[in-house]
Amino acid sequence: MKHKNYKENFSLIWMNKRGQTSIFIIVAIVIFVAVLLVYFFYPNIKNVVSGEFSPSNEIENCLQSDLKENIVTLSNQGGYLDPEGFILYQNDKVKYLCYTSQYYLPCKVQQALIKKHFEDELNSVLKTKAETCISNLVAEFKRRGYEVSASSKVDTKVEIVPQRMEFTIMAPMSVTKENTQTYDEFKFNIPSEMYNILMISTSIIDFESTYGNSETNLYTQNYPNIKIDKAELDEGSTVYTVNEVTTKEKFRFASRSLAWPGGYGRETQ
Amino acid sequence: MHQEVWHGLEVMDVKLNKCVIMLGLLLCIFLIAAVKASGEIIGTDEPSVCCQKTKSGQFCQDVKEADCASELKIPTSCDSTAMCRTGFCFDSVEGTCLDNVPQSVCNSDGGTWTETKPAQCELGCCVIGDQPLFVTLTSCKRQSNFYGVQTNYNPEIKDQNECLLTAGQKEKGACVFEKDFEKTCKLTTKDECDSENVLGQGIVTETTNEVQFFAGKLCSAEELGTNCAITKKTTCVPGKDEVYFVDSCGNPANIYDAKKVNDKAYWANILDKKDSCSPNLGNENSQSCGNCNYLLGSYCRESGSDTANPTYGDFVCQSLNCVDDSGEKKLHGESWCAYDSAFDFSPRQEIGSTWVDQTIKDAVANYQSKQTVSPAFLKTGGGPVGSRFYRQLCNNGEIVSEPCADFRQEECIEDKVQTSLGTFSQAACRVNRWQDCTTVKERSDCENGDKRDCTWLPGVEYTLMGSVANGTSLDTNSLVELRKQVVETASQGGIPRGACVAKIPPGLNFWQDGDAKTVCAQANAVCPVTYEKGISGGWKCVKNCECLDAELELKRAQLCMSMGDCGPKVNFVGSQGYTKGYKITQAKIGDSKK
Repeated sequence: MKHKNYKENFSLIWMNKRGQTSIFIIVAIVIFVAVLLVYFFYPNIKNVVSGEFSPSNEIENCLQSDLKENIVTLSNQGGYLDPEGFILYQNDKVKYLCYTSQYYLPCKVQQALIKKHFEDELNSVLKTKAETCISNLVAEFKRRGYEVSASSKVDTKVEIVPQRMEFTIMAPMSVTKENTQTYDEFKFNIPSEMYNILMISTSIIDFESTYGNSETNLYTQNYPNIKIDKAELDEGSTVYTVNEVTTKEKFRFASRSLAWPGGYGRETQ
Repeated sequence: MHQEVWHGLEVMDVKLNKCVIMLGLLLCIFLIAAVKASGEIIGTDEPSVCCQKTKSGQFCQDVKEADCASELKIPTSCDSTAMCRTGFCFDSVEGTCLDNVPQSVCNSDGGTWTETKPAQCELGCCVIGDQPLFVTLTSCKRQSNFYGVQTNYNPEIKDQNECLLTAGQKEKGACVFEKDFEKTCKLTTKDECDSENVLGQGIVTETTNEVQFFAGKLCSAEELGTNCAITKKTTCVPGKDEVYFVDSCGNPANIYDAKKVNDKAYWANILDKKDSCSPNLGNENSQSCGNCNYLLGSYCRESGSDTANPTYGDFVCQSLNCVDDSGEKKLHGESWCAYDSAFDFSPRQEIGSTWVDQTIKDAVANYQSKQTVSPAFLKTGGGPVGSRFYRQLCNNGEIVSEPCADFRQEECIEDKVQTSLGTFSQAACRVNRWQDCTTVKERSDCENGDKRDCTWLPGVEYTLMGSVANGTSLDTNSLVELRKQVVETASQGGIPRGACVAKIPPGLNFWQDGDAKTVCAQANAVCPVTYEKGISGGWKCVKNCECLDAELELKRAQLCMSMGDCGPKVNFVGSQGYTKGYKITQAKIGDSKK
């Protein structure tokens, strides 16, 4: 009997302990999920909780993930979203920014203004997405009881400058509730070392088109945070990947310059 | 009565005059290694039209008409056309300049095209803050504008290294000024210590006394009485190797030294690198000292999982050096040569006649006893099929491999320099000048390293080669001519022994239509051996009897391998071919009676 009580007590204690453990686990999961939510959706949660509404933040949140995704694509494909004249490398269509179909000759530049083209491509993505985001913003203002007067025309601008990328959405609008607020444009930045990377890439292409090859170690001396990978592929193609080691950004492009054939390079007559 | 014996490179079905007997023919066949070709379709070296846009999307290429997608195709070289002639393309916004740009490409991209180099493309030294850049004037103006500083451009400096030396020459100090009724400070140079620079453009103070410069002082110096105080924070400064303390105003102070975090004297005056902690070391991953040294392979970086955690702040001297496969430490920026690992052909690159002679002797002994060739012998032919040279570099803690040109058209060269820090190796890919080796007859010309990359193979010659056998059949007339040459040479004192071959034999594109057969056929040979019938009736070799020896056979095989991807070679993973790699055939050509 005593033994039985002991067993019952033991099982009660055990049950209590198990119950407590379960509660602790549930609380831990809730805290963990809450932390995750705050981490990933902090600006939105802040808006919801505080009731504050920042149009600039709204636009930035709406655009940022799309832009970042497209920046990665552009970076892997020589600054082109849908390149022509490319080589497949690690499943990416890497655009030839300098190319010659012949042997023994330096390449001819295929894209002379790399940074401008990168900006133009990114701007095309921004423009398409910005129109949707502005519509969403107008709808959100209206949902909050504002009277909105907005231009139907949305213009955008992307500029890559040292240490950041600047995005401007020119969508003039005025919103009125108790008083009137006017917005000419919405601006935000993404920290980035792409300017430096693109300037170095331009320099590499200059070497390729002038001398037929480039000495990557030269850049190591002058740019401590830059690492350049040079992969030689078949038939004389080279794929360059310019990496920024601190931000982990990169820009990849291909070149076919001063290609060597096998043997004397003569075809059988 | 005597017979003549020929050792050659082709199976012949020829009947010559009665007095000639063909005894030997030697045929090299090619060892084939499958090498997978991939990637974009590339052009040919037989251009026929200048195409504005090819089917593969390239601009201004000399290609076959069928490969051209554009309406604009001109049956001439692109260099002769207005749309595709190349020149300089200048980006007037960024100030970048590229050479060898087709006119139509530059114009459509929005650049300014000129046939000759425009003045805007000239480079000079641009100093932004204390960072030098070797760029065009337009680029200097643009970048100065980005950083909000005045353009400081010197077009007289025409050398990048000279430009780099101009960095950090101006003395820095504390620029003290009042802002929002508070005495504050900015660490800068005397030139930039004016109200416009420290307070912002357009803001000009009424009296110059409000902005004062204290050379060599830090903003945190107590005697200046500013609101910039000592902190325990650190930072990396653009263009500097070291980790720096940072004051409460955000100005960098002296190099991070954990022992001096509260030392007011250390926070008062600017100290030189050599007067800071452990100045002769790289201080890689040091928790207490931020005196990094880029030349020693350490650089200021944010601490993380792959670095040590500093006692104060978030930055540390990260190691940029590497350790190679053999465990040897390599400095950041160091480069060295590497080969395809399975079959190192470095002995061939540093070919020494003693090594080759000994290897041949060993191979002959091996061949006579076992009828097989040894792996060491195969090295005497150099360059396994499919192999190439590589240059490896240590960069930011990682070893990066850069292949030299395919088909061994480039070789890797390496040299080591002794520095105060130890040995530093530098490697580069260099063109392999093998092309004219087989035309050289003299040993001294052959081994002239200024002109070519060839080596002399003693005891073997090109005589009776090439033109006799074109790879598949023997031309009767050539053989008659050949015999004349042999007789002539023999009468002058025998066949010369020695052949000039590529030090690093080139790779051949033998799996496609190309010149592989022609290249290998240069080692084809026919050797006439003469037998005499003795009184007792037996045949006895009397002339060129060495052609029947195993040593000559192996030397000819070595010559064959030296042509390129020919003969009994192994491939880059060390595998031999399925066949012997060469063939010796003997044929009786004719009899003559004395």
